[in-house]
Amino acid sequence: MFWTWFILLLATLPCLWLADLASDALASHSLVLFVSGAAIVAPCRRLKRWQAVLFATGVGFLFEARRPIPAGTLAFLLAGMSIFLTSNRLLLRNTPLVLRGALICNTLACTAWFTSAALRSGSWVANEPGHFLQQLLLQVSFAALLALVVFIPLALIQDATMDRAGIPPALDSP
Amino acid sequence: MDKNRQGATASYVVLVVCVVLWMVLPAAVHRFTQEAFAEFQAPALHLAGKGRDLARYWELKSRDKEEILAASRDLARANAALELQLRRYDDVRKENLRLREMLRYNPPGDFLTVVARVAVRDSTTWWQRIVIRKGSDDGVRAGCPVIFSDRVVGKVAVAHHTTSEVDLITSPSFRCTAFLEGDEANRIVLVTGSPGRGLAAGRAKVSAIPQDYFHPVGSAPKVVTTGLGGIYPAGLVLGNLDGAERTSQDGNFKEAGLSPTRDLFSLQEVTVLVPKYPSAGELLLEDQARKRLDELR
Repeated sequence: MFWTWFILLLATLPCLWLADLASDALASHSLVLFVSGAAIVAPCRRLKRWQAVLFATGVGFLFEARRPIPAGTLAFLLAGMSIFLTSNRLLLRNTPLVLRGALICNTLACTAWFTSAALRSGSWVANEPGHFLQQLLLQVSFAALLALVVFIPLALIQDATMDRAGIPPALDSP
Repeated sequence: MDKNRQGATASYVVLVVCVVLWMVLPAAVHRFTQEAFAEFQAPALHLAGKGRDLARYWELKSRDKEEILAASRDLARANAALELQLRRYDDVRKENLRLREMLRYNPPGDFLTVVARVAVRDSTTWWQRIVIRKGSDDGVRAGCPVIFSDRVVGKVAVAHHTTSEVDLITSPSFRCTAFLEGDEANRIVLVTGSPGRGLAAGRAKVSAIPQDYFHPVGSAPKVVTTGLGGIYPAGLVLGNLDGAERTSQDGNFKEAGLSPTRDLFSLQEVTVLVPKYPSAGELLLEDQARKRLDELR
């Protein structure tokens, strides 16, 4: 079905918004609950490649829309990741591997937006690389932890949506 | 398997082409995409803000009657005092107008006030923002100052149709000129936001403090807006000087931290000051846009 990726995006939205609301509660600690990277992994097991790419791009643009990140950075990175994942489904053949995939995707995506936002914000990165690395490590470790905690419920919602949309289940050995 | 690999290669090629195209496309296209996705999310932000209001409503509703009676009694007293003050201000305003007419003094740009509820807060090392539930449909424009009482909260960074993003004064992108309390020569200092360290929220910094400035003993001096930039009206409080002043790297000036007078992330409601007339910068941009249109024609 052509619109499956969009239906899946709509099903994922509440989770992304919940993460935004939780970020609101953590605002005084300068931390963002970032789950967009982890959100693309489960759909990449079952969706066709072009659908997964559209879904990932949508997720990326949704995160960027209200934040001062260079336009397209996260969206295109997630699109690239989705191409890689849909081309190497063997890497996502069982739950531990999928969880590992979510962790890596979320960490990489978090590193990308954090670095690009830092570069956009000014010369602080060059002046104080130590502090930049410290803040980066903090945010990335938080994103990694979050990917582990949030991935299973998120994947359950996404899998249920894909079941309803009639997408065939992921094969153990694709 | 080969087909899969070929498909993947083709996809990567298409992605690279898309990225190149995206970089070449004019900024207006980027802006449009960003705007479209922001508008798509706007109802959820409204819902979140209204949900919080509802929770507050039920919390207040569950309060004891005695407590509410005491609160209303206090409010009535405060109201009476404020009414008196309003009358006094009205007299002062009339006198001010009369004096201006006598001197043929051109008044500074006036502002319309738009009161807005805070929908969500978003903060990381690189930005400290709040999203408010008023946007360009309500007259809010990018660059409008945002205040709470007589204190500066920040500046509208982006105005969408029904929501706006506000850069707080602790955000690294914030810049403003200011005067220091106790400096009789009224020398200009610079207030900038700076990235937070560790899990601490972002902080603001006051730089270009003259070496011979010594603040009054006993209290942290206030830092107030100059009104020179044309964005903020003069005399609004940005915060208090925080901690000891230290000599800047070039050795010519001093710098110090600035602590906002309120916890910016606990604000529920803010006021946006919308200039009644477009600023010089906006007029210039309008002129440029008009010229470009003429060229295109």
